[in-house]
Amino acid sequence: MLLFRAEEHIDRWCSKWSQPRGGTLSIHQAWRLSQAWFHNKMDPDWHRATLEEAEAVFSEIGLTGPFWSLRP
Amino acid sequence: MSADFDTQVRVAIYREFVRTARAPSAARLAEVTGTPLPEIREALERLHSGKALFLQPESREILLAAPLCTVPTPFLVRTADQSYFGTCIWDALGILAMLHQDGTVETSCGCCGEALSLEIRGGNVTGSSSIAHFALPAKQWWADIVFT
Repeated sequence: MLLFRAEEHIDRWCSKWSQPRGGTLSIHQAWRLSQAWFHNKMDPDWHRATLEEAEAVFSEIGLTGPFWSLRP
Repeated sequence: MSADFDTQVRVAIYREFVRTARAPSAARLAEVTGTPLPEIREALERLHSGKALFLQPESREILLAAPLCTVPTPFLVRTADQSYFGTCIWDALGILAMLHQDGTVETSCGCCGEALSLEIRGGNVTGSSSIAHFALPAKQWWADIVFT
């Protein structure tokens, strides 16, 4: 996941690398995602998020729709 | 070997990584856990298979223990007393989230290279109106975690 100055810079990057536009997050959403994902990573009882747990995190942050779906 | 042993190794990895800002070698993990080196290497392979960390392809030493990366990247994280590298902006912010510390993330625009800096203070992010972009749909992230 890269950081860009502005929306048009994402479009330029996608064009340069012939990539379809992906999913975007505000920096506040990105911080909330990082907090939810990593806040307990050093704890002995940490476990990889289940599909349902990951979906709940995405939903709470507003990452919804096909791009953010984790199901095959 | 038990899951408890793998947890012991994983916790030791993070403690050493956070303390030194470099991934501990398998030999160092053997030393700090008082475990023979072959058992450490077996634990590392199990943790790699379980996607709890990512090993280097040849040496089988630790490359990533997300959100921490042992090689320099364009995502530099500074705390009051240490600096680290994350593999992407998610991981870079994740380092500060994991440490529960204030700090900064220094990176650059993925398009033009303009320097970008984010600041975490008191649990909030400030300093930029920049936008994070995932190139791949979420279901494909772990198929190519480097490109994602």
